[in-house]
Amino acid sequence: MSRKLIIYFFFTVYCFLFTAILNAQDIPAKPNPPRLVNDFVMKLSPTELSSLEQKLKVYADTTSTQIAIVIVKTTGDSGPYDYAIKIAKDWGVGQKDKNNGLVLLWATETRKLRIVTGRGMEATITDAVSKRIINTILKPYFQGGQFYQGLDVATTEIMKRASGEFGADAQSDDDGSIIPFLVIIIIVIVFLVIAAKRGGGRNGGAGGFMGGWLGPIIFSSGGSSGWGGGSSGGGFGGFGGGDFGGGGAGGDY
Amino acid sequence: MSKGLIIGLVIAALVVFWGIGVRNGMATGNQEVAASWANVETAYQRRADLIPNLVKTVQGVANFEKGTLTDVINARASATQIKLDATDLSPENIQKYQAAQSQLSGSLSRLMAVAESYPQLKATENFSELQSQLEGTENRIKEERDRFNTTVKGFNNKIVTFPNSLVASFSGFTVKGYFQADAGASKAPAVDFGGAK
Repeated sequence: MSRKLIIYFFFTVYCFLFTAILNAQDIPAKPNPPRLVNDFVMKLSPTELSSLEQKLKVYADTTSTQIAIVIVKTTGDSGPYDYAIKIAKDWGVGQKDKNNGLVLLWATETRKLRIVTGRGMEATITDAVSKRIINTILKPYFQGGQFYQGLDVATTEIMKRASGEFGADAQSDDDGSIIPFLVIIIIVIVFLVIAAKRGGGRNGGAGGFMGGWLGPIIFSSGGSSGWGGGSSGGGFGGFGGGDFGGGGAGGDY
Repeated sequence: MSKGLIIGLVIAALVVFWGIGVRNGMATGNQEVAASWANVETAYQRRADLIPNLVKTVQGVANFEKGTLTDVINARASATQIKLDATDLSPENIQKYQAAQSQLSGSLSRLMAVAESYPQLKATENFSELQSQLEGTENRIKEERDRFNTTVKGFNNKIVTFPNSLVASFSGFTVKGYFQADAGASKAPAVDFGGAK
């Protein structure tokens, strides 16, 4: 019980510190551990938060498209666009080679909404579509105080539109890397054969050699598909470094 | 061959190799600048492509003020006339290009300001989406201009510093121009839709 209290205390202090840093200007730091739904104002209940997070995480796992929701009090001196695109770029939402990230920013105090789309998303989530999502989905729900429902319906709409544009990350990785992987294995085998022939009976040496070679290969192959695999365990695996070119739209409610 | 001659030849060869390396670096930088220039032009083109649609929408509104509309049409015509080749991005040319484009920005933002006073226009879905598209293109232009400036800065730094500047003058690389912040438009996206941003 007392331990729970202590944790709660530190969490509150942490939140206060966080808002203090936030007010000092600039954008919030990249969440660690990574999260797709970042509610810095506590507008959503824990259940709403985790169900949104789960929904976006599953979508990111299956399509590699990362939709991040950021809820802040205000965007400070900068406009919602500048604020949102800075978050998008600094956090690197979306995959590096696909630029398939999207940030939905909500400033609660100034009642602003902003969608910024990654370069790879611009074809499906055009500026006009972003505007329509804000005007016809988010705005009516938010005006009625149904924030979670608004975000839920809006993200569903985004997912529906973006689906089919990108495949899961692991798939495309496999297609490209199987041949070099085979080449490396063949080279290793050739090396081992040569080493075994030269060394004659020195089996121990060959074994060490093998360990030294195969170790990093296995490790690195695990690493390349790491964010897809790691995320199945629970949390979201992390942002991929996607780029943003200024697409999207904004509005207020 | 004397020892001195050999040493001299070796030094000369080293200098030549160094020069080739530097020159290749500059050529790569030149390509990078050309690529980001292409992106800048695409962003501006995107805006120019939007205007006919915008004009059509606005014209559909009865008794819309003609002056601002013709301003936009004329500014678009003169802005699209100026095309810069990626090999010719001198500071003067960039300045000329920017002047033509910012005239279009100015007349566009006047048009949008005037449009604010036509409620029947503001109410249409079509116009609201055009607004957001226009705002998006302005943001893209800003983004590409920033990137272009960064690339140019890297390139210029490469060619003006000594001893690279020697190689640059041999191979004909010259300093490229930057985009300046638009006069009176320090809040970059020039089209402001009062709260729409």
